Amino acid sequence: MSSPSRSPQQSQPNQPGQPGPHTVQPVLQLQNLTRVHGSGATEVHALRGIDLDVFPGELVAVMGPSGSGKSTLLTIAGGLDTPSSGRVIVENTDITAADRKTLAALRRRSIGYVFQDYNLIPALTAAENVALPRELDGTSARKARREAIAALEEMDLGHLADRFPDEMSGGQQQRVAIARALVGDRRLVLADEPTGALDSETGESVLALLRARCDAGAAGVLVTHEPRFAAWADRVVFLRDGAVVDQTIRSDADSLLTGRTAE
Amino acid sequence: MNNWIHSWRAAVRIARRDAWRFKGRSFLVLAMIALPILGVSAADLTLRTSELSTEERMARTLGAADARIVDPDYGGVPIFQHPVEETSTPVGDYENKPWPEGRTDVTKSFPAGSTVLTDSTGMGKVRTAHGILQTEIRELKADDPMARGILSLQDGRFPQKADEVAATTHFLESSGLGIGSTVAARGLDREYRIVGSYELPNDLKADQLNALPGSFLGPLGKALDAAGMSSAGTSTTHLLALPRSGGSDGFTWNMVKDANTKGVMVMSRAVALDPPADSDVPMFQQDGWGNYGNSAAADAAALAAAGTVVGLAMLEICLLAGPAFAVGARRSRRQLGLVGANGGDRRHIRAIVLAGGLVIGAVAAVVGTVLGLILAFALQPVLEESFGQRFGAFDVRPLELLGIGLLAVLTGLLAAVVPAVTASRQTVLASLTGRRGVRRSNRVLPLVGLAAVLLGGAIALYGSVVSDQFIIVAGGSALAELGVVAMTPALVGLFGRTGRWLPLSPRLALRDAVRNRGRTAPAVAAVLAAVAGTVAVATYQASDDAQQRAAYEARLPHGAVSVVVTEGGGRDVPAVSDAVQKNLPVDVRADVNRIVVGKATCEMYGDAEGCGRHEVVIPVTNQCPLWVYQPDGSDPSDKYTKAERRKLAQDWRCKETPSSAYTESGLVVADAKLLKVLEIKDPAAEKALAEGKVVTFSRTMVDAKGKLGIRLITDIDKADAAMAKGQEPPGRIASFDTYQAASGTESYGLAGIVPPAAAKAAGITTVPFGTYFSTDRMPSTEQRQKLDDELSKTGANAELHVEEGFVSKSSIVLLALTVFAGLITIGAAGIATGLAQADAEADLKTLAAVGAPPRVRRTLSGFQCGVVAVMGVLLGSAAGVLPAIGLRLTERRQQMSWYETALDLGGLADMPHVPIIIPWATLAALLVAVPLGAALLAAAVTRSRGALARRAAT
Amino acid sequence: MSIRHGLLALLERGPRYGSQLRTEFESRTGSTWPLNVGQVYTTLSRLERDGLVEQDGEDGAGHALYTITEAGRAELKLWFEKPVDRTSPARDELAIKLAMAVGAPGVDIRDVIQSQRRHTVKAMQDYTRLKAQALTALESGAERERDDVAWLLVLEQLIFQTEAEARWLDHCEARLIRLSATAPRDGAPPAPATPPRRAEPGRAVSRPGA
Repeated sequence: MSSPSRSPQQSQPNQPGQPGPHTVQPVLQLQNLTRVHGSGATEVHALRGIDLDVFPGELVAVMGPSGSGKSTLLTIAGGLDTPSSGRVIVENTDITAADRKTLAALRRRSIGYVFQDYNLIPALTAAENVALPRELDGTSARKARREAIAALEEMDLGHLADRFPDEMSGGQQQRVAIARALVGDRRLVLADEPTGALDSETGESVLALLRARCDAGAAGVLVTHEPRFAAWADRVVFLRDGAVVDQTIRSDADSLLTGRTAE
Repeated sequence: MNNWIHSWRAAVRIARRDAWRFKGRSFLVLAMIALPILGVSAADLTLRTSELSTEERMARTLGAADARIVDPDYGGVPIFQHPVEETSTPVGDYENKPWPEGRTDVTKSFPAGSTVLTDSTGMGKVRTAHGILQTEIRELKADDPMARGILSLQDGRFPQKADEVAATTHFLESSGLGIGSTVAARGLDREYRIVGSYELPNDLKADQLNALPGSFLGPLGKALDAAGMSSAGTSTTHLLALPRSGGSDGFTWNMVKDANTKGVMVMSRAVALDPPADSDVPMFQQDGWGNYGNSAAADAAALAAAGTVVGLAMLEICLLAGPAFAVGARRSRRQLGLVGANGGDRRHIRAIVLAGGLVIGAVAAVVGTVLGLILAFALQPVLEESFGQRFGAFDVRPLELLGIGLLAVLTGLLAAVVPAVTASRQTVLASLTGRRGVRRSNRVLPLVGLAAVLLGGAIALYGSVVSDQFIIVAGGSALAELGVVAMTPALVGLFGRTGRWLPLSPRLALRDAVRNRGRTAPAVAAVLAAVAGTVAVATYQASDDAQQRAAYEARLPHGAVSVVVTEGGGRDVPAVSDAVQKNLPVDVRADVNRIVVGKATCEMYGDAEGCGRHEVVIPVTNQCPLWVYQPDGSDPSDKYTKAERRKLAQDWRCKETPSSAYTESGLVVADAKLLKVLEIKDPAAEKALAEGKVVTFSRTMVDAKGKLGIRLITDIDKADAAMAKGQEPPGRIASFDTYQAASGTESYGLAGIVPPAAAKAAGITTVPFGTYFSTDRMPSTEQRQKLDDELSKTGANAELHVEEGFVSKSSIVLLALTVFAGLITIGAAGIATGLAQADAEADLKTLAAVGAPPRVRRTLSGFQCGVVAVMGVLLGSAAGVLPAIGLRLTERRQQMSWYETALDLGGLADMPHVPIIIPWATLAALLVAVPLGAALLAAAVTRSRGALARRAAT
Repeated sequence: MSIRHGLLALLERGPRYGSQLRTEFESRTGSTWPLNVGQVYTTLSRLERDGLVEQDGEDGAGHALYTITEAGRAELKLWFEKPVDRTSPARDELAIKLAMAVGAPGVDIRDVIQSQRRHTVKAMQDYTRLKAQALTALESGAERERDDVAWLLVLEQLIFQTEAEARWLDHCEARLIRLSATAPRDGAPPAPATPPRRAEPGRAVSRPGA
């Protein structure tokens, strides 16, 4: 009987750490972002001066009560909505001033969305769904499909390639949606409650995949109200009334264990 | 460009799979687009197939010959002829000379060494199994190689002996004879055996017998002449084959022109295959020669008409199919939002919805064309029978079919345009969150519509009030109609105001329809367009109907029957009259004779040898001054002023013109039974007839002494010459005592009745003319059919008239139009309802949640359907009645102006009666029955319980 | 109670000696539940006294081996079958702290909650990280599967318990906001967006009673 192999110290193959802004450019930068819905008496401040940087390899969870501005933050970050003031910079491009066409092109090339459910176009197979952004971008159907299948296989979803969405489970659909979000050169995933319609175990598999993609270099923003899923993130940002009130920095798992053992 | 193709491919893929996923909706739209395509492509194929190629046409007329030599009966004077059509005109001016007439010796135009085959036809009455059949007899040696293709042998063989004939299949059918039977012509004591059957590819319904030259027509003509009957009227043409030796070019145009100088017309294969230039055709160089059928203006007009019809049909289909695409776009909002989230910009969204139209349009094109092909192919024999003509080779013109198919694709695309633009205008966020809201309708369109309505209305008003040009009224109305279609969204908005006092379900339906004008308006517009057209035509038809009913002149009392035979000296009258008596429920039978001058076999108005005519002598004092013959040829009315002419027009001498229906003079020879049949209840008249007096119905015929004179003219030529000089024509005048029927007695066109005894006493020849019957009840259709059948078997040219009063021919048209408008209404309203259902799912759930009974879903969908139908029908009726009234007003103005002009010129005219009748029955059916039916149908097909909650995305 | 039964459960798989039991225990519970050898031997002697285990010779190296008795098996079976007793609530320091903070002058209770939440979520993040590693290990190596699964379950128990705490904090905050909205004078005023107080990321995770 050898000593326990449970030795966390040695199983840290891809500890992302916190790359400093000097060495790596953030994929997504939100600068002093505000968003006001309506005007006058019905004026609602959905966001008040949000600053947030998301680096490659980092998964950031945004938590907060209903109406705290989580979803607004995400739609603005993806260019589906425009901020009242402040700047959104994706891959060094300021999208705040971009026109509709540029925004659409940006969504094709840089930003991937994953929503709570019904992410996939029912008329297209998994592979075609993943290939869609590439095809819309003008890639030939064959090349787009090849890339899509590669993306699916990388995430162990190759067997789903030719299935239609209604032939897949909810978890499978969400994982295909993540594959689509990261197909081609895209490396920013914006996920809005991606586990909301799933059971605990399935939701976990989806987050594990998201985590793995971030560990492999993608940047992710996850909006959720479930702490258990937020806990998969490197950083949890707490939103209240449209402002960031707090955030956690994930500590080193080694120190956690060693500290615990020492106690 | 490349990018564009790739992204369109993705769009088409999505659209194709969606079309497959929603089969019901796709099928609906597909059928809507494919049905007209089916019809048009089948029509195109049939038209093209029935159009014979020149070779086919030549084979049917010339067989294998090079030309057919035709005698134009101009007596041999030089002629000009049409290169292809069988028309010709003599060279020179014949305005002041008698028109040339007479046979030509065609043989001198035959080129040396050519082979000739004669082809003669004449008519004969042939005894059949049922009776006698008027039959064409054709003497042509059909076995000759030169004649091959003219007659197509079906069974047996062509005649080879003088006592053999072949018959057309139609002859065998209608005569009840078969191969092996014998036939004989009436008047010829000779029998022929039928040895074969054939058909004329160009005239399947011809009753024709084929005999060897000289074997039938010649003997028949001689026999008829001997019996004093009119002969068979033989006409002969010659088929010609040129000598094959010298490598000839056939009968060239120059040869034809050469033959023309000899007064001979030639139909040449070579010329037909290679027609000469118009400048080479002397006939076309003549003054006054107009090739009207092919003029550019006529072509343009036909093209414009066809274009308008196609355009309107496409508009209607687009209006109907558009909402279906809108439903599709609405139902797949989430999907389109996802495309947007994945980087699809507006262009891509538009492409996806448009691709839906493209896919369905393309499938509709293929399905429609293929079905059209099958239909055309399957219907060919049926159509050939009903047209009575064999078609040529099945003729598929890929380019035309492609064009028709493209029309389908275009329709699909056009129908999807508006939904595509609407869908692409939605923000991605709104599509994803499924937020609803009042979609603001376009503000420009209603304004354009209003402008069009005002302008069109003004034009139509101008047309109906100031001018009397139909085209102005019609054009203005059409413009206004399109304007109303464009204004539909705004008009639908007005309806929303009326909803306050309605109960829940209709209020909800109305509000929903008004809030979602985007989908309501096209459906309402589709209904509007269909109903407006229907109501306009219905109003016009109903008014026209009323006018015709007023103008209808009965020829007999209601239900009475007359049958007359004018040929053959009335020898067939007894047989014909007996047939009528046997088959119809007749009551009184009145046999009628007519006066004949000369031979008994003389026909009315005939100028045959030995035939004369008779007329009533109108006393000079009774002649209408406006029409008195002036020897100098001037117009007598010129002597009067306008006012005098108008006054004279009301003078009894001018008003009571003896009508001369039935016979030359309007007089018939009959006894008192005729009065009974004509329902003239005048015992004095009956008594007068019994006493040998003539009963007259017109004052003008009787002179001051109460006598009526009948002039019997034996020499027509002399009489004509005398009349031309303003002299009394020569002829014996038979004078009769008369009895003048009371003024205003309805005589149904008879001028007077001569009692047989009086006619005999005056030495006047009479022959049977026909019989008048009164009936117990209106003969039924079956009885009439049976009678027609029997009459045709007598072989006599009997004219049967059953007085049924005014029969409107437009009622079936009106019914068809009403049904059409009803179907469109139900279809459009149904589509709009389906659309509303898709949108209202959330509302219905809420309703159910607050405790609404399940039937609310049913009633709501019923009312949604009804609301669309009612709006469309109301607007359409208003939009349809007005132009029809405008048209009628124009017509009234036009007729009034004609009437006034006629009076001024001294003509006679009745005060025009141009009523305006609103077709209430049609309107009621459209306004009440159709919406009600649509609503009930929608309610019936809606399930009370909601389907499993469907997500917006699916 | 649970160390007692834990050792019994390990012994059921075969005779073990003291320090071996300790290692296996820790490996199964992933060192989140540390034991010292003394504790093990004390427990073993109590078990022996109650007749649930007995000494059964020595191994080659001279360690005294313990085996489970029939009474021990019965006790273990009973333990597995009996639900965990929840009648006496754990005296949670956090609950007491929040209860005291309500109405305390000079204390912004939302800050108290947020700092606790950050702490809680951070702990969850840490556990989740460990869990992710465990999952990876589970997928790669098959030999110690049983231990890995046990470790995973313990981690998830911790995660879910922490989550419950986080949810409870959310609920407290929402409740307090509602109360302050209806009775603005009495309740604690909703805190403005104050910059997060950087509390020292504590290692003291409130742990279920050992």
